[in-house]
Amino acid sequence: MTALASTAPRRLSKAATASGRQRSLVASCVIYLCVAVFAIWILLPVWYLVVSSLITPAQLGVKPFPMMPGSITFDNYLSVLTGSTGSKGFGSTDIGARLLPAIGQSFFVSSVLVVLNLTIAGLAAYGLSRYPFRGSRLFELSIIISRVVPAIAIIGPFFVAFRVTGILNTPWALIISYNVFTLPLAIMILKNYFDQLPREIEEAAKIDGASRLQTLWIIVVPLARPGLVAAGVLIFLEAWSEFFYSLVLTNQLTVPPLLAGFQSVQQFNWNALAAATVMSMIPPVVLVIIFQRHVVGALTAGAVK
Amino acid sequence: MAASPLSSNALTRDDRRFGFRLTAPAGILLAVLLLVPTTLTILYSLHDVPANGRSLGPFVGLENYTIVLGSSVFWRSAWVTFLFSVGFVVLSTLIGLAMALLLNQPFIGRGLARALLIIPWATPWLMIGILWKWFADGSVGGLNAVLLMLGATTDYHDFLSDPNSALAITIVAAVWRQASFAGILLLAGLQTLPGDLNEAASLDGANLWQRFRNITLPWLRPALVTVTVLNVIYAFLQFDVIFAMTQGGPGDATQVLSILIYRQLFGVTQIGLGSALAVILGFVALAGGLITVKLLYARGSQPA
Repeated sequence: MTALASTAPRRLSKAATASGRQRSLVASCVIYLCVAVFAIWILLPVWYLVVSSLITPAQLGVKPFPMMPGSITFDNYLSVLTGSTGSKGFGSTDIGARLLPAIGQSFFVSSVLVVLNLTIAGLAAYGLSRYPFRGSRLFELSIIISRVVPAIAIIGPFFVAFRVTGILNTPWALIISYNVFTLPLAIMILKNYFDQLPREIEEAAKIDGASRLQTLWIIVVPLARPGLVAAGVLIFLEAWSEFFYSLVLTNQLTVPPLLAGFQSVQQFNWNALAAATVMSMIPPVVLVIIFQRHVVGALTAGAVK
Repeated sequence: MAASPLSSNALTRDDRRFGFRLTAPAGILLAVLLLVPTTLTILYSLHDVPANGRSLGPFVGLENYTIVLGSSVFWRSAWVTFLFSVGFVVLSTLIGLAMALLLNQPFIGRGLARALLIIPWATPWLMIGILWKWFADGSVGGLNAVLLMLGATTDYHDFLSDPNSALAITIVAAVWRQASFAGILLLAGLQTLPGDLNEAASLDGANLWQRFRNITLPWLRPALVTVTVLNVIYAFLQFDVIFAMTQGGPGDATQVLSILIYRQLFGVTQIGLGSALAVILGFVALAGGLITVKLLYARGSQPA
């Protein structure tokens, strides 16, 4: 207690002087009040979701909602994970049995896209950055414009083409169609990253007799690793989050359309849906928090272009 | 020493060809995946496409567009899209700016607070819709519990089945995500602001507002333009959150254009009409983005 009380003001004053001037007590109070409002704004819906996933349907019906539940249970997670949907009031849907496969498919689609896009976009971005050709500016411009093409405007032809080729309702339909938005994103981010890398080492390698491809592979790829990681995380995030293509082109193959389908079933269990939603939120959130620094840097560089 | 190809404009023809070859796979892929379907959709929009979509059907010229532009459903939906967009863009940008300014201040736990900012942004749009649908639900909702606790209401209210509040709640849900995105980008912009600029200004007697108005805001302008343009595009193309929360209802209270197109294409399978709508939406999104750039840069050219 006393230890806490003695360290807190010291850390506070250190933090305050970091800005160059001592902050007044009133200013500090205002700031901490704002921080509290900020934290509540972010955490309240998340807290509601997490609590919902940890209580029983009976507790859920209590008014007002038990923000601090008296008892918690992991039954919702268990029933979703084991797929034992019968006795838990899941209604007519078998979401429990399909959630883990959907998570697996989401991982598969996202991972294949990351590898594919880092290769194709990486080559393109390097070409645009170091060896601009006639029409490369136009290409960059059309990439930026492609971000405003509504998914809904191009889904029809995809649907027809995938039905004809027989890959409708397979992960490949998504891996192909997701390129529409992940590839431009990856090219923009990586081009920007390559632009910021110093070119002296590449020139030295060239003078030492390395070919352009050798230079790319031996010198640039290791230097660009943080940029590649950031672009990879963002591609993964986009693919993991995508809903519309997956809704139209597959039968609830990945997580988002599965959850959406579960939600619209007449008899369902919000506690179990909450548990499924929590589990599906964890991979992207954890991934971004781990690579926070890289990702935010790449995001700003890519977006500001 | 001869000019090195990497650092000068003196790229050889062979270098340029190399650059072209590196870019070609991505270029071809994007051309096939974007240009072909877009062209087909424009073609669909000019034909009376049969419901099964097996053929283009008879060519009807701009008839689909005249039908769309002459229907009250379209204008009602365009109006809802406009309302949604204004609320979404203004709130996302302003709340994001406020968050960025706050998280740029030194305080205990700032690192943790910045990590919190990541959560809404990293959460898939659809799950944000699901989360907020139940948060605002009339029988189990946490929002009602909070309002009850604060004494703002006396009983649970079903916000999403009430046409007057449904649109507002979908905006709040979408803003919950997008404000964090704006906050992340703007905070990154703030962190590049040299501290001595503010210090010099405060030594000269500039107060908090003057420093914000004359130093911080001009510094952030490029980032603010970017964020606002992205918000405008996200607003026009938003589908997931509204689909998860209301599917366009109650009635047509939240039927934005993307939901209307979805219904035309997959609900009533009027492919020609739906495609015309989709083309219109694409142009609106593009125009919205361009107009926003123009407006914001025009204002930026005034002396601050």
